[in-house]
Amino acid sequence: MKRLLYPLLLVSGMASAQPAAPTVIAIPPLTSPDSGARGNEMLAVGWEATEVIAADLGQTAELAPLKPNRDDYYAYPEVTAPTFSKWRSTGAKALVMGFVQSRSDGRLTFGCYVYDVDRGRELARKGFVIAPSEWRRAAHKCSGVAYTALTGAPGMFDTRIAYVAESGSGEGRMRRVAVMDSDGENLRYLTNGTSIVLTPRLAPKAQQLAYVSYADGRPSVRVLDLALGKERPLIATGAMSFAPRYSPDGSKIVFSMMTGDSSNIYVVDAAGGLPRRLTTSPGVDTDPSFSPDGSRIAFESDRGGSQQLYVMNADGSGQRRISFGNTAYAAPVWSPDGSWIAFSQRGPGTRRIGVIRPDGTGEAILTTGPGDESPSWAASSRALLFQRSDTSGRSTLWRIALDGTEPKPVTLSQGASDPDWSGAMD
Amino acid sequence: MPRLFFFLCGVGLAGSAASAQLPGLRRYTPADHHQPAAPVVQGIDAQRAEFAAQSGGTTVYFGVGSAIVGAPAKAVLSAQAAWLRRHPEVVVRVEGYGDAGDTRDHALALGARRAEEARDYLLLLGIPSAQVSTTSWGKERSGLGRAVTILVR
Repeated sequence: MKRLLYPLLLVSGMASAQPAAPTVIAIPPLTSPDSGARGNEMLAVGWEATEVIAADLGQTAELAPLKPNRDDYYAYPEVTAPTFSKWRSTGAKALVMGFVQSRSDGRLTFGCYVYDVDRGRELARKGFVIAPSEWRRAAHKCSGVAYTALTGAPGMFDTRIAYVAESGSGEGRMRRVAVMDSDGENLRYLTNGTSIVLTPRLAPKAQQLAYVSYADGRPSVRVLDLALGKERPLIATGAMSFAPRYSPDGSKIVFSMMTGDSSNIYVVDAAGGLPRRLTTSPGVDTDPSFSPDGSRIAFESDRGGSQQLYVMNADGSGQRRISFGNTAYAAPVWSPDGSWIAFSQRGPGTRRIGVIRPDGTGEAILTTGPGDESPSWAASSRALLFQRSDTSGRSTLWRIALDGTEPKPVTLSQGASDPDWSGAMD
Repeated sequence: MPRLFFFLCGVGLAGSAASAQLPGLRRYTPADHHQPAAPVVQGIDAQRAEFAAQSGGTTVYFGVGSAIVGAPAKAVLSAQAAWLRRHPEVVVRVEGYGDAGDTRDHALALGARRAEEARDYLLLLGIPSAQVSTTSWGKERSGLGRAVTILVR
């Protein structure tokens, strides 16, 4: 798969980095080989899908879609033979085309093609056979095909975001675990708001979710099966437990548990069983996060006198400090491609989001604060969601790319905290 | 019944002895009967009020980022322990809080450590472990930088 000339991530030299200009991409309305009333129906689905694709790609820092124009229709044969000269004149460097076709079994074939306009060359193509109701997911997958073809990074559009939805304000605000598709559609509330809930964390395919609940009066991790709606406590003892995260294969959950006066890190099978202790230092060890190959765990510890970032092997051996700043470093989260660890940095009166290499080099602060925390990676490893709290205590979700562009707010109808962005669902 | 009688006498004597020693304290006069009587509170609210009054407060404070029980905190906890020894039927919960500006899970852990350290001091003073439980509110409720002992029942 050939890629367009692409700016590398600029994060290692963030201080002086200027974000690269995004690549202009044309997304004319998807066409259909069908004719008559059926053809019109398919064109209507194709138009909705086109708008979804443009919205998806417009969220990224790397791509700038031209606004889709419903009059830019093209005939079905053009899907594989675009008129490149027309798109060159619009300034577009890339082009997404495709079609929606009805099948005799009632399902739809969804075709997606990505072109390099300057070179007049196909970069990628992919087809999906879907139920008519799944057209939105197919559009997200097409967005992913285009994003991957143009940037080399995995797509992050067919994903879900879990977060804590906050309505009302102050101490009495209602907090519920919410899950939505990454474009904001299909919002569902998974708890009823009677207890304080914190830190929902999705399993890799977003089929399960672990979170912290105060239903028993003390914080404890619970595991919820999203399909069955069944819930259980992660551990049988009544100890305070928090900060859960799944292993990359979904088979294990790392978390913090209070043992006596100290918070230590434990791992347990996601299906249940006895937790195994990984850290033994006095004080606070918390916020564990697996590396994408599952071999290592990043965590935070105040064993050296202040909160700093550490990395250890997945069995607890080889614990090593990787951050050495004067301020506190907290809540490390390993990127899906393994190359970065995002964190919250806490200085006097400010919390900001940063990234650091797993070997402790390349540290860069991405946001200005003053109330930023809880970073969560996009599947692309090129963007993060995080929580920004204002002085009144109201929290909202923001999204920032690693290339130095300004963070953008995520549009939600209410307050939100503790975002967790899943990997691709299949 | 005779024991109760002696107990009441003792309280009465101690009260008058104490007031006799305090300069400027207004002596009992029949005129006081004209003031409305204070409402009689009973049950857990009364116990909570008594506990708060006799233990020098329900709240102990910690330094920023610290779970160390300092001298002022020890004085409060000692008074709490003295009261709890007299009320073995009462169960309390120590609720710890994190600091402002902290990250969520560190605040949770720090609040838990503060609650556990305060509880440990109560146990050191002879309070049975079953009488004291703990929780942490991290930074999820207002009350940062402290641990509060709450009467549960």
